[in-house]
Amino acid sequence: MLTRTPLVRTTLLAALVVGMAACGTPAPTGSGGGSSSPLTVGISVSLTGDFSNTGKAAQLGYQLWADQVNAKGGILGRKVQLSFADDASSPTQVVTNYQNFITRDKVDLVFGPYSSLLTLAAAKVANRYGYSFVEGAGNGPSVFAAHLPNLIDAGPATAINGAQVWGDYILSLPQSQRPKTAAYPSLDDPFSAPTADALQKRFEAAGIQTVYSATYPAETTSLGGVIAKVASTNPDMVVSGSQDADGWAQVQAMIQQKFNPRFLFMTNGPENPVDFPKNVGLPNTEGVFTSDVWTYSAPIPGNQAFVKAYLAKYGGAPGDIDSTSAETYAVGQLIEAVAAKTGKIDNQTIISTLHQGSYQTVVGEISVDQYGAPKGTQFLEEWIGGKLTIVYPGNIAEHAPVVPKPTWP
Amino acid sequence: MHLLIQAIILGVLTGGLYALMTSGLTLTFGTMRIINMAQGVFVVVGAYIAFTLFNYLHIDPFLSILISTPLMFGLGVTLQTFLLRPIRYDAHRLSLLMTWAMAIGIEGILSIFYGTDFRGIITSYQNTSVTVLGYQFPLVRVLAFALSVAVLIGMWLLLSRTKFGRAVRAVSQRESAAKLLGVNTDRTAALAFGVGAATAGAAGAMFGLVSSFDPASHYDLIGRLLAICVLGGLGSNAGAITGAVLLALSESLVQAEFSPAWSSLPFYILLVIVLIARPQGLFGVRSRGAI
Repeated sequence: MLTRTPLVRTTLLAALVVGMAACGTPAPTGSGGGSSSPLTVGISVSLTGDFSNTGKAAQLGYQLWADQVNAKGGILGRKVQLSFADDASSPTQVVTNYQNFITRDKVDLVFGPYSSLLTLAAAKVANRYGYSFVEGAGNGPSVFAAHLPNLIDAGPATAINGAQVWGDYILSLPQSQRPKTAAYPSLDDPFSAPTADALQKRFEAAGIQTVYSATYPAETTSLGGVIAKVASTNPDMVVSGSQDADGWAQVQAMIQQKFNPRFLFMTNGPENPVDFPKNVGLPNTEGVFTSDVWTYSAPIPGNQAFVKAYLAKYGGAPGDIDSTSAETYAVGQLIEAVAAKTGKIDNQTIISTLHQGSYQTVVGEISVDQYGAPKGTQFLEEWIGGKLTIVYPGNIAEHAPVVPKPTWP
Repeated sequence: MHLLIQAIILGVLTGGLYALMTSGLTLTFGTMRIINMAQGVFVVVGAYIAFTLFNYLHIDPFLSILISTPLMFGLGVTLQTFLLRPIRYDAHRLSLLMTWAMAIGIEGILSIFYGTDFRGIITSYQNTSVTVLGYQFPLVRVLAFALSVAVLIGMWLLLSRTKFGRAVRAVSQRESAAKLLGVNTDRTAALAFGVGAATAGAAGAMFGLVSSFDPASHYDLIGRLLAICVLGGLGSNAGAITGAVLLALSESLVQAEFSPAWSSLPFYILLVIVLIARPQGLFGVRSRGAI
């Protein structure tokens, strides 16, 4: 009998847990305009780990929005109260954080974390409890492929559609100026690798030969071997499926190995106006392309006011603002738009309202499909004269693209 | 062929740095029979010291080693005296937990002071490389390799030619006998732990030069360092060097010739084979220390 005790105990425990989960599942909360209790929002942010540089930028955007909305009296008379928890850039911790927000803290709403990797894991938790999940920094294909009915991405474009602006630009060039060969070194990450893959397929269909394509794991500390291989194939164009630190390592290895492609596009890394030049050296940024949804100078309604408010609160220069801050700020703007449109602020109303129509935010006009994937595009940026500059499409370009890439100084 | 040789060059240069990082781990295992799980974080502390001295006082990382190694030596001696000495009655088991606790504690302190952003030591010669017969030798890696070799030779001289070295070897072979012969084993253990931390300080400055780091970088590092140590044979310096070069070389070659996705695999396959065929590692000795 004794030997069976653990089994019995485990079964009882499991039954208890299931029972508690059933009882404990809160009805998604949030009432109409009458309540004066604060509107509580749980947000997991990556304050440590691989995504910490940009994760903090996400927090700044959310906080700025909450401060502004509270200064105006809150949403439908309710002050917004944000609770942040660090997820250490871990998909396991992010799940725990949202479970705690929903089941323990019983927050009214949850907003998304940073990165596609964490957004996907977190959105599933929110969906299980019937919570809406508006997020500004998870636009990799796996996020939308999960077909979650509660998810809304506040970025104007999915990662794959967004980066297609590089494809649009390259294929807009006359045949004689286009690259003939391309290499695709990518980080094994749900944002980076699929984005580079999609560009690879498009370029191959357009006749640009792939001479190298491989993904490297996140724990790769030295990318010397990868870049040595890329350099040995001598491609005209490198499309790097990168995030922050690995992107810097790619650039450093290219310089050290004296390999200078005519075109260098990186999915992430160069869009960070502070950390990229700091880690690769400002002169080495020249001619590096990336795509982005936002920059401080983008001609988007409300953007100048956002930049001004950001600088007033956090200081610094306009060029130091990370686009992720604008994206998470836009999450808040969407919530405000729902309240203004419907006079209600509950999870079901947020889900049903945001899946229809389009909404103006600081990152552009947002409209999403049934699984929350935004339908818009990004723009192409290039580091020119030590500054991130919009270079494509032509109607919003601040400067013509500078190609071929200058040699490393 | 060009690519193969380039990959070998990069692999060997990186291997030198790993060897330096591992040498401290080897020393503490050799003298005290403890596996220092904090060795990775010591390297990261070394990187932050070099980062601070470079960014605020403009001291070149190679020069700042003259400051960081004594600091790290002091840190090592202090930690050993106050945290490890009290648990020496069951050091084999408790030290694993204690040094891991040190690693996590130091990581937390670093996060408070430096935040958790990735940092890099960006010198003017950061991306300079020397071309020899068409092959690229990144300057920082060459210098880091040279420094590693110099420190390893210094350590070898320290262990083989000095009274302290004889004491360390005596303690590693049989502590009770060393005690009987008048060796102050407590002091020897503290000094050895300090020297181990000091080598990590030097390695840290080099690590900060060649890659970005944050307070949590030690998790990746310690895994690699332990694997190197186990392959080479715990407590063996020659083993640490061989293991380090094998790890870095195999990663670089597989990255370049096959796919970066598989870059760590050959080393760990080799590790498993070695452990089956020769459980004490390539240069390890079953019954006593082999420093």
